[in-house]
Amino acid sequence: MSTIFKVSYVVQGGGHPGAIVNEDKKPEVGQRVTLGSKEFEVVEVVDLMPARGDFSFLHVTVKAIGN
Amino acid sequence: MTLSDRLSQVELFEGLEPDELDQIAAICEERTLSSGHVVAKQGDAGDELYIIWEGLVEVVHEETPEDPAPRTVVNLGQGQVFGEMALVDFGPRSATVRVISEKAILQAIPREAFLEACESHNHLGYAVMRNMAADLSFKLRHQHLIGR
Repeated sequence: MSTIFKVSYVVQGGGHPGAIVNEDKKPEVGQRVTLGSKEFEVVEVVDLMPARGDFSFLHVTVKAIGN
Repeated sequence: MTLSDRLSQVELFEGLEPDELDQIAAICEERTLSSGHVVAKQGDAGDELYIIWEGLVEVVHEETPEDPAPRTVVNLGQGQVFGEMALVDFGPRSATVRVISEKAILQAIPREAFLEACESHNHLGYAVMRNMAADLSFKLRHQHLIGR
């Protein structure tokens, strides 16, 4: 099975609770992601915990588009 | 892809053998819900655990005398689990969970069937409880990062 990326999305500047979502592909800096109805740009991707089984655990910081 | 195959992509069931995934699949109940539907209400009794198959939900701490402003603490999407706290500690729901995508498809697992599967199959029970602890740890780490 291919890797499943469990991602903790944290929004820069607060004011948004972020999200926890499984992704098929590892997010990359500069990529745009949609959380709910809002769109964000990825600014940082770091490993949050060591991988276990087919799962990789990531912390991704995003910023609102247009800020 | 079978239900068991999909369950193998949920962290809660990481490390389970195919026959153990089949046992979990046998106790899942699929629910399709529309936007705004309240899946769990803070303070209510809870006897089901939920897996998000599709869609997004918000987890909201309702107002209390100690915390007068309701606030969304996290959004959860595909592959995530909620409702596990009340399932294992028998306490009331700690938050309200509401569908915020156009629709959401959930798999609900009743407490009685879930605990029976865990208690009657040692490896299944150990793996699921270990994974549940890891998931709660991940959620705590997310909250710490939000609060930085």
